[in-house]
Parts: sequence; structure tokens; C-alpha cells
Amino acid sequence: MIRVTNVSVSLGRSRIVEDISFDAEAGAFTVIVGPNGSGKTTLMRALSGDLPYDGTISINGAPINRLKLWQMATMRAILPQSTSLSFPFTVREIVKLGMTSGRSGASRHSMDTLPDEALERVDLDGFGGRFYQELSGGEQQRVQLARVLCQVWQPVLDGQPRFLFLDEPVSSLDIKHQLIIMQIARDFADRGGGVIAILHDLNLTSMFADRIVVMHGGRADSVGTPMEVLTDDRILRVYECALKVGGLPGKSVPFVLPQSAVL
Amino acid sequence: MSEAILRKPAVLASAQGGKKPRPDGDRSALARSVIACLCVALIATILFSLAFGASDASVVSVVKSLIAGSDITDNALSVRDRIIIYDIRLPRVILGTLIGASLAVSGAVMQGLFRNPLADPGIVGVSAGAGLGAVSVIVLGGTFLAPVIAIFGLYALPLAAFFGALIFTLILYRVATRRGQTSIATMLLAGIALGAMAAAYIGVLVYVADDKQLRDLTFWGLGSLAGANWVKIAASGPLIALALIISPFLARGLNGLALGEASASHLGIPVQRFKRIAIVTVAAATGASVAVSGGIGFVGVVVPHLLRLVIGPDHRYLLPAAALLGASLLLIADAVSRTIVAPSELPIGIVTAAVGAPFFLWILLRRRGILDL
Repeated sequence: MIRVTNVSVSLGRSRIVEDISFDAEAGAFTVIVGPNGSGKTTLMRALSGDLPYDGTISINGAPINRLKLWQMATMRAILPQSTSLSFPFTVREIVKLGMTSGRSGASRHSMDTLPDEALERVDLDGFGGRFYQELSGGEQQRVQLARVLCQVWQPVLDGQPRFLFLDEPVSSLDIKHQLIIMQIARDFADRGGGVIAILHDLNLTSMFADRIVVMHGGRADSVGTPMEVLTDDRILRVYECALKVGGLPGKSVPFVLPQSAVL
Repeated sequence: MSEAILRKPAVLASAQGGKKPRPDGDRSALARSVIACLCVALIATILFSLAFGASDASVVSVVKSLIAGSDITDNALSVRDRIIIYDIRLPRVILGTLIGASLAVSGAVMQGLFRNPLADPGIVGVSAGAGLGAVSVIVLGGTFLAPVIAIFGLYALPLAAFFGALIFTLILYRVATRRGQTSIATMLLAGIALGAMAAAYIGVLVYVADDKQLRDLTFWGLGSLAGANWVKIAASGPLIALALIISPFLARGLNGLALGEASASHLGIPVQRFKRIAIVTVAAATGASVAVSGGIGFVGVVVPHLLRLVIGPDHRYLLPAAALLGASLLLIADAVSRTIVAPSELPIGIVTAAVGAPFFLWILLRRRGILDL
């Protein structure tokens, strides 16, 4: 379990995240939503150990500021919003970097094929020999996800759950791949790991999340299930948009919801 | 529950299978065979360099003599050839090998550290910093820096060059890098400023130097292996060897750093400590090389770039391959510099710049889109 207790984060002089507490359980898919500038990414960077913070963040009971980098690397993997490279790596070489920590959890004889399996998971089989820099933004994002999956291939290692942190994992993806990536995250949680993701798409969030943390002005506006959290007045207050949850458009406007996908 | 979306239609999969360049993108086998070839090439180049010159001894007789050792006096080599080979060519070949390897490896490490294929100690002013350190010792060794020479003796020159290179690398890193991202333009411009700064200070030192020191400076500054002897190897060899021994251990960190500092630390790499070690390694290799041979440019940018085209940027293979290719190319450049205007000889720095500078322009041309900031 990731436990966040009274965490505040400052960048320079300004306080970006103020007194946030929530638990992200193993086996659950926790989604952080909120408008631009509400502190989601800053909170994620604190969770990742990239920023100093006040309060306590613990992973499986251990405060993360007492863990060594290599210890944390075996407990959680992080997908950044985007990654650009200056050298001509092939896709396979990038995915293999995920195995740097050496604790992917895959069995020894499947280590060689792990990059291929991970690429197949993100719907990129056959892309191993392509150059990363020649791929589209969405494909690059999925290559990075394959790398991150390699790092924590088994959601549970030595009886301890492991975690995936995803910062806007579907922002540059088409609808099919949005669903595939959300399904991968869901599956990771179902097999005993924990997932924390930042998302902007409230429909996907409501479809896949177990718990939602709504951030607003650096604070946690609310924490709860999609049913509890996604209400008209909260969306009005947080996003400053008068929307109706479950409201349908007029007859002549087609709309496509991810919920209608045949899974 | 998601079989329907997760399974790609078979037709699509086979269509994509047809146009991929390499089946799985694994270049490690290729890289290993390239390294093996480079080993053979380096050995051949070394033997060729020993045998080849104004006084030609046959490669076979040189090998015989090397195997037999210096106490055997068979007829394979005349006494004169023996002196030429052991006292002139052998130190020169050893120094050329060490410096070629060191220049190429420091280029590769620096490029990985700055995440930038144009970072090279010669281009971004680090060699100039090393030069400033070296010139300071040559000119001020009799006066200001006399205690330094008294303490370090032989090693004063390479150590001064090392500290010059270290300080300049730190300044460069501080100026050109923000949050682990290096701006290519800022880095190159900072390199120009650092180079100008070093040139200005060197100019001041040249101004106060006496006649003998000026001769030393001129000889040193041309960038040459001509003065190679066992003393120079003893002075700079250890620092270069140390840097070359450390470099393979930097490979994992440099690979991780390719993803950016944050992602590298998420993979468990202690980024801050790693960067310090890498910077000191680059400074040691550059400083020790510049101290003995002056400015030999472009090896550090050409060699890693060529290798990346063939075996890819995986530093586990790139670093050893760069050492081998850098050593071979520098020995070949030295052979050219010895013979092209025989019986006189051209400083090797002129040869490497004549070939390397156009190559650098070619890289710029290929990357123009990225450089338009």
C-alpha cells in the first residue's frame, strides 16, 4: 500500500501541494484527476521520490525517503508523460532498459523474451527493430509503458505488492489504445499490484478506477469511488464547468463513450 | 475480458512484419563481433606502426623481436632498428594507443552525460581548460607553481591539466544544463566562451613566458605525438589507464541517463553520484591526454558517432568499441602525419582536424532540424 499522510510540496517559494492524505491500496486502481495546475504532477513527482516534501509517504510500510533508489526501483515503476531520446536506440533496447534493476520478477528462462512479451502487451509486437525516434508520440508512449512494465513484470514479488505510477498514460493515444492501456493497468491491479494514474478523461476514469482523488488548488477536494466523487456540483466547483453527469447530448450530436466498447 | 481489443487482427500483424528492418532490434551480437574485429584491427595497426617509418623494419622481424624480448641478439633486427623501435616507435605507439582510446572514450562518456551527440571535450572547451592547466605549469612552474612541481614532479603537468579540465567541465555543466536537460545551443555557445576564456589566459601566460618556455609551449600546443617517450607515458599513462578502467562501469548509468535524469533514478541509478564520477573520468582522460599531446581534436566526436551508426548507442558496447577504434584511428593519423610531408612531420592535430572538422559539419547538417532552436 502507498500511504500519503499530510503531504505538502513546495516548488521554490510557492506551495503547489497542500496537506494531502490518501491511501492507494494494492489490488486497486487509484486515479488522480483535477484541472490543469491543480498539483497532480507535482504530487506524482513527490510520490516518485523526485521532490522533497513535508509529511509522510510510505510504500508497503517503509517511508520512501529512507529507501535507497535501487530498493524503490524494485517496488515501483514510473511512466513519465513523455520521453525524448538523443541517441538512436531501437525500441527493443529501450524496453530492455526496464530490466536494469534486475528484479522484473520474470522467470530466468523468459528473460530474453520479456521485451517481446511487453511489446505485445502494449500492442507493438514486431516493433522491436524500429528506431524509437521514428515512432509517433503515441507509439513512443506505449514503448515507454512496455519498458515500465518490464521493471515490475510481476505485480507481486516476494509477497510484497508492487506499484505502477502512470502520469497521463493515455493523453496521446487513440481510443483503441487508450482502452488497451487502461486494461493493462486494471489487470496489474487485479493481479495484486497497485496503480496510481493521473488522468484527464473522466469517462475512462469512471470506467476503470476503484478510487478517485480529486485535486483542486493543490488540495485533495475529495477521495472516493467514482460513484461518490463524480457529481454535478463537484465538477462545477473543481473544473468550473456546469456539466451534468450522465447527461446526453441532443439527438443530432453523435457521442462515443469508452464504456460502450465491447470488452 | 478484453481479448477482443488486446488481440491485434492477424492480417495487420503480418503486414507490419514485412517491413521491419531488423527482426527484434537486438544489436548486441553485432556489437560483440564489431568489437572483436576492432581488437584485431588495433593489433594490426600497432604492429604496422612499429614497423613502418623512415627506417623500415619488416612486421615479421618486429614481432619476432617483441616476442623474444630485448636480451636476444639475433639477426632479426639491426641494433639501429632496435633502438628506433624500442626507444622511439614503441613509446610513440603506446602513447598514441592510450591517447586515441582516451579521447574517444571521453567523447562518448561526455555525450552520454550531456545526452547530446555533439558534446566533445575539444569542442565544448574542456580541452581548452586542460590546456590552460598545462600551460600554467609550463610557464609558472619555475615561480608561482614551483611548490606544485616540487610535490608532484613528473605528475604536475597531467594533474594540472586534469584540474583545468575538471573545473571547465563543471562550469559547462552548470551553465548548459537545467534540470538534467542540456540545451544544445547553450552548450555549444558556452563552449565557445570557455574556449575564448582559456585562450585569453593562455595568451597572458605566453606573454610572460621566457624563450625556453615559449619553445616548450609551441611544441606542446601543436598537438603532436612526436615527443613521445617513456617519461611521458609514466606521467600520463596512469591517469588515462584509470579513466579507461572506470569507463565500462559507467555504461549502465549512461544507458539509463539516455531516458533522462528522473527516469534513470526511477530505474535505481544513483544519478547525482554517477554524474560526479563520470565528470571526473572525462576530466582525467582529457586532462592527461592534453598534457602530453596538446590539442588533438575531433576524435571524441567522430569515433562514437560512427560507432553509433553501426552498433547503436548501448554504452556497454559503445565504450569499449570507441576505445579500440579511437586508438586505431589515432595511430593511422599519426602514420599519415609522419609521412605526408616526409622527412619532416605534420602535427597530428592538423590531420585529425582536417578530417574531423568536415565530419562534424556533416553531423550538423544531418541534425539541422534539431538544432534550429
